[in-house]
Amino acid sequence: MSDPTNAPGPRAQIPVTVLTGYLGAGKTTLLNRILTENHGRRFAVVINEFGELGVDNDLVVDADEEVFEMNNGCICCTVRGDLIRIIGGLMKRRDRFDGIIVETTGLADPAPVAQTFFADEDVRRATKLDAIVTVVDARHLPARLADSPEAEEQIAFADIVVLNKMDLVTPEEAAEVERRIRAINPWAEIRRAVRAAVPIESVIGRDAFSLERILEREPEFLAEGNEHEHDSDVVSVSLEVERPLDPERFNAWITQLLATKGQDLLRTKGILHYAGEDRRFAFQAVHMLADGDFIGPWREGEPRRSRIVFIGRDLNRPALRRGFEACQAEAPAAAGTDRT
Amino acid sequence: MSGGAGIEGADFLLQARGRSAELGAWVVGVAFGREGRVCAFGLGDGTVRLAAPGAPAEEWRSVAAHPAGACLALCADVRDGALSGGDDGRLVRIAPDGTAEELARYGSRWVEHVAAHESGVRAAAVGRTVHLLDAAGRALKSLAHPSSVGGVAFDARGKRVAASHYNGCSLWFVAAKEDKPRLLEWKGSHGAIAISPDGTHVVTAMQENALHGWRLADGQHMRMSGYPAKTKSLCFTARGRWLATSGAESVVLWPFFGGGPMGKAPTELAGGDGVPCTAVACHPQQEVVAAGFADGLVAIAEIASGRVLPVAAPGRGPVSALAWNAAGTALAFGTETGFAGLVDLSKR
Repeated sequence: MSDPTNAPGPRAQIPVTVLTGYLGAGKTTLLNRILTENHGRRFAVVINEFGELGVDNDLVVDADEEVFEMNNGCICCTVRGDLIRIIGGLMKRRDRFDGIIVETTGLADPAPVAQTFFADEDVRRATKLDAIVTVVDARHLPARLADSPEAEEQIAFADIVVLNKMDLVTPEEAAEVERRIRAINPWAEIRRAVRAAVPIESVIGRDAFSLERILEREPEFLAEGNEHEHDSDVVSVSLEVERPLDPERFNAWITQLLATKGQDLLRTKGILHYAGEDRRFAFQAVHMLADGDFIGPWREGEPRRSRIVFIGRDLNRPALRRGFEACQAEAPAAAGTDRT
Repeated sequence: MSGGAGIEGADFLLQARGRSAELGAWVVGVAFGREGRVCAFGLGDGTVRLAAPGAPAEEWRSVAAHPAGACLALCADVRDGALSGGDDGRLVRIAPDGTAEELARYGSRWVEHVAAHESGVRAAAVGRTVHLLDAAGRALKSLAHPSSVGGVAFDARGKRVAASHYNGCSLWFVAAKEDKPRLLEWKGSHGAIAISPDGTHVVTAMQENALHGWRLADGQHMRMSGYPAKTKSLCFTARGRWLATSGAESVVLWPFFGGGPMGKAPTELAGGDGVPCTAVACHPQQEVVAAGFADGLVAIAEIASGRVLPVAAPGRGPVSALAWNAAGTALAFGTETGFAGLVDLSKR
């Protein structure tokens, strides 16, 4: 990837935090906390004009959430056109802020927001997606999951879930809500909160989309049996193989998979062990848009194995497992014995 | 003139016949007033800087056009001075004497694109709406579009105004009794827009590193692709024979004659350095195009001969604004990092 137009400019990329969450979950409360806390950082805030509460900040931009399809062969590749324009405009006065916070509407699908940061060259050059933070109402989440696909998507896309209104639930209810969140997204970090009070460092400056950071959090895998529970449409499938992968096989497989199943695959993350390679390969995708690179050597004594997590709908676990296993560098000993 | 650009280096013209300044903010747009006395630079810090093309020794003036925001778009105003749109929701006229006058205020919405025609009509794109104002600054009409407007342009006579948006662009008659646009459709997001000088073609730059054009006589589509980056700047040469565009590692010119651009390869000028072209401006009379590049180089190229004359050396940030004066005797440019120059190119 040496395309000069995509090379980082001389100036540092501005981090962008995306705040999602269902209506009434406490998104704007969290936003106002971030803005009013005395941290010395200045933010440009992009809000929807139908926001629930006022936002107190010098630089607030009203957005229309205009989603459109890219004509780039990705059938599911939608981006936020308004965000491309707004970020372009904000960059012209970039000396006046240190970060951008994008608040989405309660019913928004986070995918177009996230994809904007992968698909538009100017946005990619000027900014970097820092984290997707999803605020959920601990008490009402089960109902939301039952009646709205957006609530599931917002959790599926989250790097950090702020589990808000903890004062309104019993410890049992809280544990159950966390279990539901983990079933959808084992990778998300869950922060329990009352009135959206979380340390600002836990939601800002996370660099969660950097490939290097994928490793830092071990996904909290559920026992295998749990993954088959059908209490939500969106599920995660975590796979692990011991033998090194053949990069060409993996590329061919994942490219085909994202091209055909990209619409159902919300987020994919993996740490891969390529045959003959001492460095770890990190991989991530938002729907069909993928990104991957080597991120430094395996640590001493660390088991070298490949792990991948898919978060999405209608995931065929056996097929995914077979596909991933077939990417291993040498064919399993049992293979090739089938006849007819 | 003795000596030459080759001897003195790429900066010769700027050093010998120009004036430059570090303005400290992104140069969003530059335009010469039609009266010929001012050159206006619109900046990301909300100011408009005024230079005097005929008097290089004169200090550049600073006008607080958008005190609380940034200038997002700037063009020559109807008769004189400049028109500036800002992210403070204001449309501001800058008179040649440096007076700033608010023509309209559109609330919290950004004024993202502006255009003006000497016949006495102005356009300001705010979200999905293009507001038209007359020469006195009175609101004429507000034209609604299905989605946010990505670019706005008048035709050569000021009779029609075109606005790009998602899935195409809309062409309106300024003086129509009943406002009903001709919708030119093409799937995708359309940005920068231009109407050919003879009014027969409309061309837009798209999100997908390609241009799309329509021949108005029969609605024929034209697709011009192959750009490594997004085209942000495009303009027709004075008589409309060529469309000059940014977005490649050269100035890409599409022929609009002899049956082109359909089935014709574009001409490329001033390439070879592997640096993307970021801005183009066609000379108002001759088939000459000025181009700015991502490394800060500014050059002018003669289309027929392919001869390239450097105007300003690389090293001062990507060129983000570029304009000729009406007589074609002066060129002004600005960069993302706040460098600006004004060069006298008249015969001496």
